[in-house]
Amino acid sequence: MTTAADDFLDLSDIQGIVVKAYSRFGFPVARYVLFRIDLPAHGRKFVVGITPMITTGVRWTDPASIPSAATNIAFTYKGLKHLDVLDASLHGFSDEFSMGMKARRDIVGDTGPNHPRHWDPVWHNESETGQHVHILVTIDGKGETEVEARYRQILALLVECPGVVQLSGQRGGGSDDLPYQPAAAIPPKPEEAGFPGGKEHFGYSDGISTTFFKGCGADPMEVIGEDKPVKGDPRTLEGWAPVAAGELIFGYPDEAFEYPEAPGPPLFSRNGTYLVYRKLHENTGSFESYLEAEGARFPGGKEALAAKFAGRWRNGAPLATFPTQESADRYIAELSALQLKVWAGQASPAEQARYQELALQLVALDYGDDKDGARCPFGAHTRRVNPRSALRFGNKKAFADDPGALSNRRRVLRRGLPYGRSETPARDDGDHGIVIMIVNADLSRQFEFVQQQWITFGNDFKLANDQDPLPGNHGTSKNCRAGGRMII
Amino acid sequence: MANQSGNAYALALLCPVRAGAPPAGFDGQCQESYAAHLRYVLQSVRVSGDSPMARVPNTYLSRFFLLDDVFYQGSPALEEHLKSSYLVFCCNFHGELEPYLTGMWKTIESEVRLILNHCVGFSDQTVRDAAAFIAYIKKCEIKTTFYFNGSTDQPLAEQLKGLYLKQEFSKFAFENQGRSAREIQEAFGEFIKGTEPENTARPAWKPGVYDLDKVVAK
Amino acid sequence: MSNIAGKAYAMNVITPLKWLTTLRTRLIFWGAGKLPSTTLGLVTLSLIHYARWVILRPKDFPHLGPEQPKEDLQYCYMLFFSNFNGSWDQYVDSFSSTIPTGLDSFWYKNIKYTNSIPMLPFHRYITWNQIWTDNYYNAYPMASTNDVKSAQKVRQNLIDFARSTANATPDDFQRQYNKLLLSLQHDLSQMGLNPVVSLSASAVDRRLGKERRGVS
Repeated sequence: MTTAADDFLDLSDIQGIVVKAYSRFGFPVARYVLFRIDLPAHGRKFVVGITPMITTGVRWTDPASIPSAATNIAFTYKGLKHLDVLDASLHGFSDEFSMGMKARRDIVGDTGPNHPRHWDPVWHNESETGQHVHILVTIDGKGETEVEARYRQILALLVECPGVVQLSGQRGGGSDDLPYQPAAAIPPKPEEAGFPGGKEHFGYSDGISTTFFKGCGADPMEVIGEDKPVKGDPRTLEGWAPVAAGELIFGYPDEAFEYPEAPGPPLFSRNGTYLVYRKLHENTGSFESYLEAEGARFPGGKEALAAKFAGRWRNGAPLATFPTQESADRYIAELSALQLKVWAGQASPAEQARYQELALQLVALDYGDDKDGARCPFGAHTRRVNPRSALRFGNKKAFADDPGALSNRRRVLRRGLPYGRSETPARDDGDHGIVIMIVNADLSRQFEFVQQQWITFGNDFKLANDQDPLPGNHGTSKNCRAGGRMII
Repeated sequence: MANQSGNAYALALLCPVRAGAPPAGFDGQCQESYAAHLRYVLQSVRVSGDSPMARVPNTYLSRFFLLDDVFYQGSPALEEHLKSSYLVFCCNFHGELEPYLTGMWKTIESEVRLILNHCVGFSDQTVRDAAAFIAYIKKCEIKTTFYFNGSTDQPLAEQLKGLYLKQEFSKFAFENQGRSAREIQEAFGEFIKGTEPENTARPAWKPGVYDLDKVVAK
Repeated sequence: MSNIAGKAYAMNVITPLKWLTTLRTRLIFWGAGKLPSTTLGLVTLSLIHYARWVILRPKDFPHLGPEQPKEDLQYCYMLFFSNFNGSWDQYVDSFSSTIPTGLDSFWYKNIKYTNSIPMLPFHRYITWNQIWTDNYYNAYPMASTNDVKSAQKVRQNLIDFARSTANATPDDFQRQYNKLLLSLQHDLSQMGLNPVVSLSASAVDRRLGKERRGVS
């Protein structure tokens, strides 16, 4: 299925975290570790030491080729400076990257309770030395043991490089001073066992759709519903095309038929990209109590209300395709049962085919048959952050028949996992949320734009100042209730 | 020519700025030019709800800037330069040109003088009344080749009344969810009495105000 | 000095073109005025309050008296003025992705025009030829063009509804009220300040003393 023309990406020089959503490869556990570089020579030594452990984007063709743990690395601007990267190269980075996310807080809406002063302590104490988080190392693995082993291997490198310091100060488990950020997938409910995505703490199945880009090495069938809509039936391959690799990785042409701006020389930036790291706390108590109270008077009840927020039922079924809870439940039950059989290698050819057909329905939609938002509201989370063809508002001829004209250059890759436990979901103040990492080649046009215009504003959806009901910054009123509104 | 789209009018002016510096030099020093002083004046004109343009009836959007020169596009393009600086005034408004300019003269004559006194052919002596002002503007008007109206062409008061009602009715709909038919009907009666949808004068949004707490004219 | 007034951004672009080119460009504009389908993309994009293109021949520069030197220009100039919602980048990028051919025909053969795709040279072309606004006024800084159009609909619906339900029974009122809400379902979002679209916008806000919701 993969043609030579699709093999132009140098996957062995691109980090695995860019190309692979690790949770899809049976890696439910992760640690995110931060370091500071005090001595550039030691910093470089550390990088040399960790390089053999870095997981690349080379395709895992069979289960035996999947390692027990994956390691990836990212640097802040100051981190690169502390590695003595040449000024000429540093000056080639975008303002968004060199300033860092704290300084961009007004632009991305990190105000009020989301202000950097409320972030984990590891992000504080930066007044004297400037930004002191220099390196992020991510470890994803099959289990706690595998992750712990890799973690130890990495820390062992520090013995030889005392000029690199592991930073503590991550919040979790009642502490403000964890040496790393732990994260782990939340397994699906028993009746949804077999469903491909994990859960997050509000109870939604997450990580269902990802961005399929040219040359990423995944199964071409996965292009359906996973990236840019083109003329053609959105339920088939004819309706979709892979997004250009340059939207996500430096050194390849992007959707405007040019190379994304990146620092020189080309060897320095090629196959690299920008990664945004965000830790989002979830107020599970408020969320559940709101759903209970409002769901009681909402037709369809709390589950239907939760579905209107997300654009997907909490079990993962897309609202635009499955407008009733009954149809959504039936669909997910059948899909999950078939998935288990497929994994076990016990599916008959007929079951295989049925499984393919059902799996497609998770993502093969473009809102073309829901242009008024009768099923999935304009302001629902998934319709906002990935509007597919929705921004044509039903005017098929509007943008030279290019249904994704307003969304193709806003695509990003989402990585990361939930953290903490919500065993007491009645409370807001526990340790629970998600670590989300966003990969893109242009921080301003992609991440910041989506965060600002599509999550913390509503004009593109003709919703004035309404924000995304889930990750929007709704502020808090005097009685600490969130001030958000949404029209469903 | 396309200065109009329905009842919306696109006015654009190029007013040549006087050459050199005003004569009133201080202690023999070189004074800033008319153009530089005009730019200072334009940047000092108040903005938002305090802008003089908020007093000019039917102004949707307007802008002032100084065009000092044209841009050279690099070889092999020709290099050429303007011989004057021009004050550019662009305005989108509801209605016909002459009534609009008459409204402007009536409401903000002193501000207009403060600005246009920097321009060739405009002075307290040459422009004494609205008719002379209109004649001057017509000499400076440049014709729009293509006008795109992506909004409405209603009178401004109707636009502002609509915005007020949109904001207030969305609160009403939100607050009255789940109430009985009789309760909603009663509340709606009060709502109509309080908001007077057919009365464009008030209550309505005030022009130019960028503050939710201050935008309503009761 | 600011190009921003609430939710609106004022763009001024001036670019040279040859006299012969203006003939073709005028024809394109004339056609666009006659054929609404030409601007369907702009209408669907719905980011513009009002925009205009002005083609100036050398003799069109106003000359008001002997004290003003006469212009001596070879090129004609195209002036583009727009009042749009969102950031500069959003506007330029949206233009370039949604109506590249329309855009290219409007700027057809302007000297050194780059075409709207690829985008980086187009960005540079616009930036190079853009003039900053010294004073910008917007009658409804808290409204986008979507909001203005939606407000007109809300007002008309309310007037009609109030008239038709003046003597309705509560049940009849409820039925019609529900219909009203359904027809206004995309028009009932609240307006407010613009998000901070750029660091210069946040600096302007600070100068104006604007407090943002949720800023602690």
